Amino acid sequence: MSTETLSTDTKSHANPRSGSLARTGLLIRYNVLLRLRDPGQMISYLVLPMVIMVVFKPLYVKAFDGGTLHAVIGPLVMFSMFALGIVGNSILVEREWRTWDRLRTTKAGRGELLFGKLVPPFAILIVQQTILLTFGTLVVGMPVPPSLPLLAIAVAVWGLTLLAIGAALATVARSRGDLNMVSDLGAMVISSLGGALVPVTLMPGWVAAIAPFSPGYWAMDLMRAAVDDDFAGMVRPALVCLTIAVVAGVFAGYRLARGWGRSHLI
Amino acid sequence: MLTVTDVAKRYGDVQALDGFSLTALPGEIVGLVGHNGAGKTTFVDIVSGLIRQDSGTVLVDGQPPSKARGRIGVSPQQIGLYPPLVIREHLRLFGGLAGLRRTALKAAMDEVIQALRLTEFLDRPTGYLSGGQQRRAQAAIALIHRPALLILDEPTAGADPETRQALLDVVKQRAGEGAAVVYTTHYLNELAELGATIAVARRGKVIARGSSAELLDGLPGEVRVQFVDHEEHATTTDPTATLLRLLDGATAPVKSVELRNPDLDDLYRSLAATDVN
Repeated sequence: MSTETLSTDTKSHANPRSGSLARTGLLIRYNVLLRLRDPGQMISYLVLPMVIMVVFKPLYVKAFDGGTLHAVIGPLVMFSMFALGIVGNSILVEREWRTWDRLRTTKAGRGELLFGKLVPPFAILIVQQTILLTFGTLVVGMPVPPSLPLLAIAVAVWGLTLLAIGAALATVARSRGDLNMVSDLGAMVISSLGGALVPVTLMPGWVAAIAPFSPGYWAMDLMRAAVDDDFAGMVRPALVCLTIAVVAGVFAGYRLARGWGRSHLI
Repeated sequence: MLTVTDVAKRYGDVQALDGFSLTALPGEIVGLVGHNGAGKTTFVDIVSGLIRQDSGTVLVDGQPPSKARGRIGVSPQQIGLYPPLVIREHLRLFGGLAGLRRTALKAAMDEVIQALRLTEFLDRPTGYLSGGQQRRAQAAIALIHRPALLILDEPTAGADPETRQALLDVVKQRAGEGAAVVYTTHYLNELAELGATIAVARRGKVIARGSSAELLDGLPGEVRVQFVDHEEHATTTDPTATLLRLLDGATAPVKSVELRNPDLDDLYRSLAATDVN
């Protein structure tokens, strides 16, 4: 290094000890800040399912056994799928605002950038489900789940699945309009098909036959088993959800690395 | 500081860079000029570590760009700011990612805020700022960690005179302190003001490099003589001889004489003409 360069570096304010953890923490903080500056979707996807839970509970209770549980789990699964839009948007705006390339020119590595980007939406998904389950128990009258750890596992697995699907969607959407259309339509169709609105057992035969192709079907199974403290019953839907998460995550990773415009994301 | 040797980069059928070589020494400002599509932005993307070259070497302080990120400050051609965040938050984020903490971060922020005259709109979301204010914020991010290599890709495009002057001042200051600067622009008078070494890019390679005097040598200037009843105008490589010839053949009293030596715009036009031919 030349003398001139040294003189520049000598004046630098940079602290060489600052590390990966500090950068990742900073990225998480700023991504949380970005979410908080645009809270509309989050509020909407919290309040709407609460309203639906309260309004639809009497209908479900009269229509079939376990109606109260369905009145909570159904809207939870449906509106957690709507939250795919939040996950996707948080990634897509980085391309729209041309800020991702800015971040890539900093000292932050690929893992730090992705971790910092994905932790806040994952936290939103977890918080959303936790608040809705709490509301369902305290206000709607869902039985108190005997095992909170099992419920936490179910929430985490479903949250991870949604995170991966949302990231994958963000890498194929060309605009926020595209993303919102796909996530809204997809959430409605997939969750309805999975039995979030009407239990699969009450659906026409052909719909019931294709219901297992919907991630919502497995999410409903997973949540129901977790609330019932049925660990054995959780294993299969959890594995299916995790498989979907891995497939979507690998696809998202490939698209982010290979196919996102002139410069790659990571 | 920056050594780029024989770099090639292809996008599908387009050969964006084809044997591109450039060096920038500590304290040197290299002005990179060229037509749209000459490869300037591809070069910037490669040096910034955003894309990899197909062949050739790029070394920043002896290391590839991906390993030298903390020593590079980049101000991209297109605005890249978070519209909901204010300038202060941008500076904290990017300063923090560069490793600046507490008092060091505050000192660095104060310095770029003052240098780029950002105080007035520091706490305004960048989505509400004018284009010139966004340009200054963008440059502040590139400067905050005092990089040893500054890459500024058309930093004054569309900027107002105040923004332009603030940017030029800070670039001169940083170069004076030892930073190597690569400055791409279409505003060639800015390079003259910066006293930059000029590198001319065309079709993916640097075809000429030197001081403005060296590059302008041999290019025609302009002589304009206004007589009371008409005007005569000539493009010439020998303005003095041409002026004497025009005056010698004068049939009417002279009202005014204008001699214009070749400048960087002439260089640019001559390259454009070569390109068309």
